[in-house]
Amino acid sequence: MKATLEAINQMQADGVIGKYAIGGAVGATFYLAPAATVDLDVFVSLPDPSHLLVSLSPIYEYLQARGGRVQDEYIVIGDWPVQFLTPGNDLEREAVAQAITTKVEGVATRIMSAEHLMAIALKTGRAKDHNRILQFIEQVSYDPAKLKDILERHGLNTKWQNFESRFLKE
Amino acid sequence: MSKPKLQARMSRLTFTEKIKILEKLRDREKAIVAAGLRQESVPKKARKQETQQELE
Repeated sequence: MKATLEAINQMQADGVIGKYAIGGAVGATFYLAPAATVDLDVFVSLPDPSHLLVSLSPIYEYLQARGGRVQDEYIVIGDWPVQFLTPGNDLEREAVAQAITTKVEGVATRIMSAEHLMAIALKTGRAKDHNRILQFIEQVSYDPAKLKDILERHGLNTKWQNFESRFLKE
Repeated sequence: MSKPKLQARMSRLTFTEKIKILEKLRDREKAIVAAGLRQESVPKKARKQETQQELE
């Protein structure tokens, strides 16, 4: 992971990407017990957001020139397949902007907040996303007031109510 | 140790320690797939088309 994060940080320092944040299962692992995953989801803001067509080509070209290997929708950096994603909505943009900074093996990186990870999981809505939300709740690894605020601001209250009635009420 | 207690203990590890565990889990998964004991998981693009609207 160290080599992977160093490459992403260098890419940011070289201006290929703007802010980034780790999401998905690896992001959730910052707060929860580790759960198996094979890839690293990295949400990136691009330096010039004025372009109507968002292209990840500069990222792939940059990393391939430095030993990255394309494999399906991933690019393998170090020993981790990485999927780069551009934020597709205001919730994901906010999650990148408000990510927290931490370190892995001494390398600085940014992780989405627990509450943003929960809200994105709720919005995505697959079985494994619901399971992840339940883990956050069971392990009390989030701030309920902050989550409530995010859900309200991003129009997810109905989905949350449905989630509660399906999974949290007897 | 019960599962909730184990999960609570694991969640208190440092992020670096957790990443090491993730890497071991990932390598084990790869070895299982390589040995033909389990099929490779469905690519993410296909998975995203699955149950997205469950809560609509």
